[in-house]
Amino acid sequence: MKTILVLEDEPLIAMDLRYAVEDLGFEVLAAIDNDEALAAIEGREVDGAILDVSLGAGKTCEPTASELHARAIPFILHTGDLDRVGETLRAIGAPIMPKPSPSDVVANRLVDQMREKT
Amino acid sequence: MADDKHDPTYLQPFNQAHRANKSDGSPAAPFDGASKLLFEQAMAQTRMAVVLTDPNLPDDPIVFCNQAFQDLTGYEASEIVGRNCRFLQGADTDQEQVEKIRQAIREEDVVVVEILNYRKDGTRFWNTLHLGPIYDENGTLKYFFGSQWDVTDIHQSRAEEHHAKAMAREVSHRLKNVFSVIGGIVNITGRSMDARAVAKRINERVQALGRSYEPTLDEAALGTIGVGQAIRAVLAPYDPEGNRVKYRGNGIRTEPNAISAIGLTLHELATNATKYGALSNDTGQVELAWEHARDKVGRTTIEIDWRETGGPRIDGPPERTGTGFNIAETLLSHSRGVLETDWTPEGLHARIILPIANR
Repeated sequence: MKTILVLEDEPLIAMDLRYAVEDLGFEVLAAIDNDEALAAIEGREVDGAILDVSLGAGKTCEPTASELHARAIPFILHTGDLDRVGETLRAIGAPIMPKPSPSDVVANRLVDQMREKT
Repeated sequence: MADDKHDPTYLQPFNQAHRANKSDGSPAAPFDGASKLLFEQAMAQTRMAVVLTDPNLPDDPIVFCNQAFQDLTGYEASEIVGRNCRFLQGADTDQEQVEKIRQAIREEDVVVVEILNYRKDGTRFWNTLHLGPIYDENGTLKYFFGSQWDVTDIHQSRAEEHHAKAMAREVSHRLKNVFSVIGGIVNITGRSMDARAVAKRINERVQALGRSYEPTLDEAALGTIGVGQAIRAVLAPYDPEGNRVKYRGNGIRTEPNAISAIGLTLHELATNATKYGALSNDTGQVELAWEHARDKVGRTTIEIDWRETGGPRIDGPPERTGTGFNIAETLLSHSRGVLETDWTPEGLHARIILPIANR
């Protein structure tokens, strides 16, 4: 079974995304910050990821995004503030899903991205 | 000012002062009214702070300042004359601006800079400094002229505007997150109650409503919503490639209250088009137009025209239009608006007509 990393600090959104991703037949690794996300990527094979951009206190998902990019693991960005995506994240060029979007739409967008990348 | 050599009374007319005269040309006629008395009265009365410096003396000292300059800086003339202008600078003065001043002086150029200066009592003020060279009738550099204007208030209001924008953005970001969380709650609840299909329908409407307000949130200060922006935000998810929906409207704006009915109605039209209409195949198109108009009883209205083409052919109105259309019609009628539908063979032609209050 393929494994999807969901990095999201808001528990209700994380839970909703988890269900939507599981519905598509994937296993979910949930992380609430970059440390957890990076540990998850280090610890096991991850096939794709959904990253919340703003992680509170001015932090973004950039460290995780850079690591996924370096490992050529497909991912999408999920954000309510497109301005906050930042130069480095933009340069990576991952698809951006605006918040709010229905969780199944977000999950399906990731699946599309994983197909394009393989 | 006792020294006649530095008496600015003998200066050229002001409009010539920043230009060196050509030695072969005839010098401009001296301004007859430029008597010492007039000069002193004008300088005393103007609210613009003015100084003259003498670049021919060591360290380019101030040789004249007017009353407004003393009022602005809090120093007496006796404390000012003889010093270089840099005594107004302080710890937070931007050295880049200072360098612009130095360069203008070196190159005998005219320059306007905005610089943070300090009064005698240590308080700071933003100073728009205009400076330039003054030549005598032979084209010899005699003085530098400097006029100062306190623009602290302008700086303040710029900072406040910037702050308001940052706040609006933060609120917008948080509200989008709230809509996202609501979506999560609805989905999770629907799942736990075995009503996922219902939850999905509720969620689609909640999200459409959230999108309709997106433009307001981002420009909260204006108090009205751009109709076109709201329409595009609502319909964006139904046209992911951006080539199925055509928008033909102008920049009309309306009060936020009108938007929920419009947003939800467009959502129902788009949902219907996705299931049965022009967005259900690969080639259909939806054309949207919006404008201000007047209804039969003379009220100003917003009219939104929705025309589908290229979808499956239709044989008249559907037997049931579904609850979505009923919700839209109920919402619109609450605001004395209507949804007109004409099921032509080419596709649905719908019109949303909504009166706007106070116009």
